[in-house]
Amino acid sequence: METVRLLEEHEFPTEQQKYFEATKAWFNIDYLPKMSKVLSYQPEMSHTHGRCSRRAMVDGVLQRRQKEMIAVAVSAINACGY
Amino acid sequence: MTNGINAVADGVRVPLDLSDAPGRTPLVRLIELEEASNPVKRIYQDIQAFYQTTCVPNVFKVLAHDEGYLHDYWAAVRFVFTDRRLDRLTKEAVALAASMAARSDYGVDLHMREVRRLGLTEKGVMEVIEVVQLFSCYTKIADGLQLEPDFTRLLEAATSGARVTPQR
Repeated sequence: METVRLLEEHEFPTEQQKYFEATKAWFNIDYLPKMSKVLSYQPEMSHTHGRCSRRAMVDGVLQRRQKEMIAVAVSAINACGY
Repeated sequence: MTNGINAVADGVRVPLDLSDAPGRTPLVRLIELEEASNPVKRIYQDIQAFYQTTCVPNVFKVLAHDEGYLHDYWAAVRFVFTDRRLDRLTKEAVALAASMAARSDYGVDLHMREVRRLGLTEKGVMEVIEVVQLFSCYTKIADGLQLEPDFTRLLEAATSGARVTPQR
């Protein structure tokens, strides 16, 4: 059970919606992941952090699928089920 | 596999193979190539060929105290890191990331050498570092807030081949 109340999408400021749509498109899903909600509580932080995230995960020298595997390895080492 | 090697290497303070690391005096004597039995020498030569290096990574010199164990463990390592569906560079990049996340000096030293040897550019190394940093952050946030997974249905669909619409 989460230790914070996760806001519903409509509870966030309207100007956040375009970022939410970009997140859904990135993951090819029709809902906003909990992590994105948490990070969106502070837009000043979430926008810059989100750009870092996108920059890090797009195809570069390594492809996105390789980076996702690296992310899985980090999550496994940190024993993070999420 | 990587975590196992790192646990032994860092646990018994095996000296790093490539970087200076003062204070890493091994708690178990390392069996050097010159003194190794012939079967161990053959394994060492295979290790050298696999990593294309004249030195044998020190962690294997610890395992060499038990020739049979070294034989089987090395065979497993070799199998895991050989090109199959994933190429060797990808596997080494994953191992580097796992070593960084586990804060293993030995693993970072070994796998950083390997990704560079296999052709990963400094930009590519930086990409690994960025992903490790991001997900070290995300995992701590998720654990700290006890976020329950919400990608589960996508994962089930991906592994079953079924097509589903993700739900909230």
